[in-house]
Amino acid sequence: MKKFYLMFALLISLAVLAACSSGDDEANGASGSEGSSGADSITAWAWDPAFNIAALEKAKEAYDGDVEVKIIENAQDDIIQKLNTGLSSGTTKGMPNIVLIEDYRAQSFLQAYPDAFYPLTDVINSDDFADYKIATTSFDGEQYGLPFDSGVAGLYVRTDYLEEAGYTPEDLTNITWDEYIEIGKAVKEATGKNMLTLDPNDLGQIRMMIQTNGSWYVDEDGSTPNLEGNESLAKAFETYKKMMDADIGKIVSDWSQFVGAFNSGDVASVPTGNWITPSIKQAEDQSGKWAVVPMPRLDMEGAVNASNLGGSSWYVLNVDGKEEAADFMLQTFGSNVDLYQTLVKDIGALGTYSAAAEGDAYAVEDEFFGGQQLLADLSTWTDEIPGVNYGLHTYAIEDILVTGMQDYLNGTELTKVLENVQAQAEAQLK
Amino acid sequence: MKNLKRIFIYTFLSLAALVSIFPFLWMLVSITNKSVDVTQGRLLPGSHLVENMKTLFETVDIIPALTNSAIIAVITTLLTLLLASLAGYGFEIHRSKGKDIVFNILLLSMMIPFAAIMVPLYRMFGSISDTAPLFGIDSLAAVILPTATTAFFIFFFRQNTKMFPKDLVEAGRIDGLSEIGVFFRIYMPTMKTTYAAAAIISFMNSWNNYLWPLVILQSPEKRTIPLLISNLGSSYSPDYGVIMSAIVIATLPTALVFFLMQKHFVAGMMGSVKG
Amino acid sequence: MNQPSSEKSKLDLPVSLRYKETKREKTGVFFKKKVGWLFVIVSVIAITIFNFYPMVQAFLLSFQSGMGGNLEYTGLDNWQRLFSDPTFIAALTNTSIYLLIQVPLMIVLALIFSVLLNDPKLKFRGFFRIAIFLPCVTSLVAYSVIFKYLFGVDGIINQFLLNFGFISETINFLADPFWAKVVIILAITWRWTGYNMIFYLAALQNVDKSIYEAAKIDGANAFQQFFQITIPMLKPIILFTSITSTIGTLQIFDEIVNITNGGPGNSTISISQYIYNLSFEYTPDFGYASTVSYVIVILVVILSILQFRVAGEKK
Repeated sequence: MKKFYLMFALLISLAVLAACSSGDDEANGASGSEGSSGADSITAWAWDPAFNIAALEKAKEAYDGDVEVKIIENAQDDIIQKLNTGLSSGTTKGMPNIVLIEDYRAQSFLQAYPDAFYPLTDVINSDDFADYKIATTSFDGEQYGLPFDSGVAGLYVRTDYLEEAGYTPEDLTNITWDEYIEIGKAVKEATGKNMLTLDPNDLGQIRMMIQTNGSWYVDEDGSTPNLEGNESLAKAFETYKKMMDADIGKIVSDWSQFVGAFNSGDVASVPTGNWITPSIKQAEDQSGKWAVVPMPRLDMEGAVNASNLGGSSWYVLNVDGKEEAADFMLQTFGSNVDLYQTLVKDIGALGTYSAAAEGDAYAVEDEFFGGQQLLADLSTWTDEIPGVNYGLHTYAIEDILVTGMQDYLNGTELTKVLENVQAQAEAQLK
Repeated sequence: MKNLKRIFIYTFLSLAALVSIFPFLWMLVSITNKSVDVTQGRLLPGSHLVENMKTLFETVDIIPALTNSAIIAVITTLLTLLLASLAGYGFEIHRSKGKDIVFNILLLSMMIPFAAIMVPLYRMFGSISDTAPLFGIDSLAAVILPTATTAFFIFFFRQNTKMFPKDLVEAGRIDGLSEIGVFFRIYMPTMKTTYAAAAIISFMNSWNNYLWPLVILQSPEKRTIPLLISNLGSSYSPDYGVIMSAIVIATLPTALVFFLMQKHFVAGMMGSVKG
Repeated sequence: MNQPSSEKSKLDLPVSLRYKETKREKTGVFFKKKVGWLFVIVSVIAITIFNFYPMVQAFLLSFQSGMGGNLEYTGLDNWQRLFSDPTFIAALTNTSIYLLIQVPLMIVLALIFSVLLNDPKLKFRGFFRIAIFLPCVTSLVAYSVIFKYLFGVDGIINQFLLNFGFISETINFLADPFWAKVVIILAITWRWTGYNMIFYLAALQNVDKSIYEAAKIDGANAFQQFFQITIPMLKPIILFTSITSTIGTLQIFDEIVNITNGGPGNSTISISQYIYNLSFEYTPDFGYASTVSYVIVILVVILSILQFRVAGEKK
């Protein structure tokens, strides 16, 4: 009994002590942030320490202003939740000055919180950046985003498996998806390996396919669903089913299985965004066995062998310190060619600032990919990506499409499926 | 017959234990493997433990995050135990019509998904940030207060108080104890196991709490352990060996709290009132 | 019930003390009532500020719609929209299925475990307890990876079923609408049984051992003791766990996002996941998200009233 009291008293005093000591921290922290409202320091949020955060650090090094830049790492989903909660609550307290937003989500943020972002129209020159990035980073005639990394997609192939089946990477260069499937069948027969991974819950594959033909889930207005009667989408669905039927896809259900599949040599190719390079290289024993060729295109008039998956851009929030933040952006990602050279050399981050692509760093030969000038190739393909307005509802529509894809794979007629998803999307996205 | 029953019980429990413990064991094994092996679900221990730990401690500030989580979890748990047991006791022992109605209304508060009240709650803390920064956004108090008072634990204590022998209260009053005295000197020691169970759950909830600390905390140095782990997975090419190492370190305190507290679950605690 | 009412205990007191007691009561009736409120007042105020105030705001939001910060009142539109929203209907159906199957299963299992593990003669009691508790502290990341591998096409479960001839070809558990739900139910049960066991284990300590001894003398076997003593004695806690588990399952989120992410199609999506998607994954519509949240509130209220009724507590 006594012991019990003693313990209880001890715990209480411990808690009080802890509360007090952390209270001190609080006071310090508060006074520190008070100083920042005078904008001698700005905050930037981004994700991925090896990529975006590293890029920010390099930018900070290259920047010679008086403003202190605080770089804060948050996971992408975490940024989305924090931004939405903060912006919709109407308090700008705790919001950063600079934030990285994925291109697919940019229009949502710009339209949902119209006054929350600071236009960069007069700060940067949008012609300096890859064309395809502009539609998605601007809104209502104003340029809000500073286009950052390229989501240019490539077809990563295992040269050794191809060779076993009698192919070279050239045979896969500038082909259509139909030709890809035929090669896939031959590769599977020769090596027993699947040609690629397929995740029925993630239709990034479909997104990449339709963008080769300049098409998207929504009309150019960015909000009207464009599913029924969208020939590119229909073609992409058919192609997807063909892959399933040809049994050349290894089914995965999440990111770690996706990475696991190519790291362990289970698949002969990976069609995806260039940001996958570090993950591919993770399997050091596969050095020299990989090459990257342009993305296959949809077998349609007008489709090109270039596409995109992901990619993001920088945004400045309309809070105290916006001028300083915009200036930091201009001095670094907005104009500094040398910075882009460093980004490519040190972190392999491929920007979309066109002038940067001419530098030496892009010409470097990558031994892991058999001496290919990978960055130069990727940046050439970046310029060819058809620009589309990703609009507001990429992920909402994709969730509906996933259900549609299930129906289609289970035998429902394609026109019927697209009719259904169109109706559903129209009902849901008012 | 008796033996058969014993064998059956032990087999059943062993199977259940195996099923329960298997993912935990895999988690322990995974910290010794390379990222590639983890993603492939490798079951055998590897030789990457030291490397994973080194990378972990070099790349992230795990110690401050553990400290933050510990401070928040301990304060939240103590506050919860005190306030919820007081209220649970009050609602049951000093039962009245009015209090029953209030209690039922309180229960309503645990029925709404947290995501639905998050934005108004954030706005509330945002509005006092300037006048009272100690209670505003990015403060310890803002993390703790909304989680330390929940109808869940009041409900839990009240239901347990229903099993509490009420003649002990009367006996206490007769001994000349004040109403508060009865609570602290008779109820609290008698209900030790109830407190132990509540402590385990409250500590665990607070330790694992993710969404609210995520939105309300802004400075990296105030980050709790779930936020740190979320960051580790944010990379395009996450290192699963390192992530699992962080997860294992983050899991041990809750397991430890349970281990220490479960000792109180000894049959026949009643009657220990005399101390 | 078995609880002695205060009326009865007063009579049990020695006569010599009775006078003192009544005198005290008389002078302190008003005071005592007040004291009762003192016990609960801090919690009531705190919950009002931190829960009810935001809840009222959320309720007002449920009549508004729009993107992010551009909300406007749309009357009952959101409530009508619910009925024609296939994703919501799918989420509601799935969640109801989880609830109906998973909660009873888990409560029964947790009861059985706690009674077995409360036996002082049981060897390795501590080990078994911690083993069964471990799932609720095992990280989601770890257990979703494990679940996905166990139930993968070439996973252990398929191999086991194949080898023992239960199935003739492998089942793609996570890609099949029916089996994916089964996996989710197993996952929730796996994770939360140990958690509920704690409440029972703690409550069992408060059950007077002499009742069991008396029953044993009367010749009651283990089953009779379980049904005639344990269950009635634990009734308040069983009520507690079934209501909190109902709430937990109606708000289930983590397991689904990590194991199936709502798929295949929408066949495992839960209401909470849909709320999350509406708030953060899609272009945010906090108004409609609030409406969907209040559907959960309404469901829980109805189910809780039912459970209180079944438990026979006067409300």
